[in-house]
Amino acid sequence: MVKIDKTEFGFIGYFNAMASPCECLIETENYQTALAITQIAADEAWRIEKKYSRYLKNNVCAQINQSNGAAIAIDQETFKLLDFANTCYEISNGLFDLTSGVLRRVWHFNQNTELPSQKSVEELLPLIGWNLVSFDQKSVCLAPGTEIDFGGIGKEYAVDVAVQKIKEYKPDLSVVVNFGGDLRVTKKPKNKPKWNIGIDSLLISKIEHSVSIGVGAVCTSGDTEKFILSNERRYSHILNPKTGWPAEGCPKTVTIIADQCLQAGVLATLGMLMGAEAEAFLTQQNVQFHCQR
Amino acid sequence: MQLVKQKNKTVAGAIAAAALSLLGNSAKADGEFWDFSRDWKFNSGILYYGEQDRVSALEGVFSATHEKDLDDKFNFKIVIDSLTGASPSGAVVQPGVQTFTRPSGKGQYTVNAEEIPLDDTFRDTRVQVNSQWTSPIWDESIVSYGVHLSKEYDYLSTAVNGNIAWNFNQKNTTFSLGLSLAKDSFDPEGGVPIPFSSMVIDMGQFANPTEFETAFDLTRGTTSEDKETLDILMGITQIINRKTVMQFNYSYSDVSGYLNDPFKVVSRVDQDGIALEHLYESRPDKRVKQSFYWQAKHYLTGSVADISYRYMTDDWEIDSHTIDYKHYLTLDNNQYLEPQIRWYQQSAAEFYQPYLLEQSIIPENISADTRLGEFSALTIGLKYGWRTDSGNDMAIRLSYYEQSMKDSLSSHPGVLNDLQIYPDLKAFFIQYTYDF
Repeated sequence: MVKIDKTEFGFIGYFNAMASPCECLIETENYQTALAITQIAADEAWRIEKKYSRYLKNNVCAQINQSNGAAIAIDQETFKLLDFANTCYEISNGLFDLTSGVLRRVWHFNQNTELPSQKSVEELLPLIGWNLVSFDQKSVCLAPGTEIDFGGIGKEYAVDVAVQKIKEYKPDLSVVVNFGGDLRVTKKPKNKPKWNIGIDSLLISKIEHSVSIGVGAVCTSGDTEKFILSNERRYSHILNPKTGWPAEGCPKTVTIIADQCLQAGVLATLGMLMGAEAEAFLTQQNVQFHCQR
Repeated sequence: MQLVKQKNKTVAGAIAAAALSLLGNSAKADGEFWDFSRDWKFNSGILYYGEQDRVSALEGVFSATHEKDLDDKFNFKIVIDSLTGASPSGAVVQPGVQTFTRPSGKGQYTVNAEEIPLDDTFRDTRVQVNSQWTSPIWDESIVSYGVHLSKEYDYLSTAVNGNIAWNFNQKNTTFSLGLSLAKDSFDPEGGVPIPFSSMVIDMGQFANPTEFETAFDLTRGTTSEDKETLDILMGITQIINRKTVMQFNYSYSDVSGYLNDPFKVVSRVDQDGIALEHLYESRPDKRVKQSFYWQAKHYLTGSVADISYRYMTDDWEIDSHTIDYKHYLTLDNNQYLEPQIRWYQQSAAEFYQPYLLEQSIIPENISADTRLGEFSALTIGLKYGWRTDSGNDMAIRLSYYEQSMKDSLSSHPGVLNDLQIYPDLKAFFIQYTYDF
């Protein structure tokens, strides 16, 4: 269900999806247009959530993860996502790996939880590894016990496809599509030089810095609230798929500005996994970033 | 750990290429991080105020706001006012030329025949500084507190204020409570006149300046005076529907101490209307005011209608009504136009009199200050605002003010019947503001 409010720059459309508050900031005088655009964004978000959420039974994600070694037929969209994840896995030397989701069985990030035992983590490592996934344009096959967690890219991908659909519908309007703090702007606004996230929208309150963005995507990895504190060390919820543990000395959050949300999201995750070297890595990559420590 | 670096390409570049192949082309990102907490916003303005033939004022304002977060900010403001010109002294108009002594005792000024006496000795420059801190407290509340200081050559004002606002109903309702305390002290050149003492005017009757000074000093009491003000404000703001918001405020104000205007006099006239002497005014040493304020804003397509009404009543028997209407019209390209019309009416203070009849007993309090009289006033104005290419806001506002006093006396003694006793006031404002 979407809700629309009038603002001084146009309209804000609100809805919930992927367990996050979502909004569209729309630069238009027309209420009907704002409603239509918010609906487009919401429909895309819900569609992707229905398809790839690991919390639902019988969707594409569940079918793949319960296949127990059998090949599962996939559509073009799923193939392209797997192909993207594959490229990221290779470029990152295995750091970016969608099969690391099983670690949530032993890692719980609520208040006052304890660290898992090394043994319980090690028991899961054999199930993790993109090399355990084989796929082609028509089907995917996982080793038994391995799972694919689209959570690492689902939201960012949803932002990008929502933006595409909105641009097809109204190519001239400037719209900010913001799913829980991961956002992208369709086009440069007319009535001001840039959108001020942190003022126009408060959803990005995860970071202390704010962002002004004319066009492009902003994505944040990490969390100021979801972590474990043990012996005065802070354990982030971004886990290294090779060790099963978070990187040492990683920032609280890493925020990236990039052309598309998906690429910003992957870079933010990699930044977090670089731990104490996050800033050095991101500087070397020549991307616009901010690390909160 | 080393990430694989493809020849001449970074990891970031390869990810960008992969994203391109999945999603297709996109525009190049254009954005930057900025630190809220290092950000200062500035507002500046310059105002020119001119009364026809009388006072003119030039005021410059500079305000800096430092925002750590929404609702968490510090503001510093400095205002400089420069006033010149003349203002009615309270003395009554006469058929002949009149001479008056300046408040400092140093020098005199003359007033033409049939003209309302204006005193052109004026407080000239005033500097004000204000600091205000705002921050969120508890869950849905905001607290704000501040200090104020203003100084003119003979006047010092200091004040502190505090305010809490509570939000309810998903921020649809806000209740606020505020308190402010001020202390003003006044140190006029020549000392504070003794109320009801008669103005000493040198018309050649003193043998030497010392004799004049002695007589003058007899009309002077203390060298300085002060007053204290307590203000309490309660308000409710309520969002009525998606397009309408209303506010209702009640305020209570108690000021005590020296409330006279030491520069003002009341003329004592005989039955022919000829002034015999001019007495320094006297007001009560306490004033309690209450006011009730209501405002509604309604959003239409492309414009906002804003109407407000205030009723004020005090224990000096002054009651006033203000109705103010503004219409904010959005134009293309971040421009706007805002016409305004305001109507004000007040009843006279119980002790207001334009002059005192010779045979009347001298009342406990008396003032001929027209600001305490019965009058109505109309303001019409137009404001035009625009945004510069660098995204900063500028505006220019023009207003015209006209005040007319009501004569509540059915007739006047002698010559005063044929003269204009009550001054009319016409003034205009032009104000330019720049926010950056």
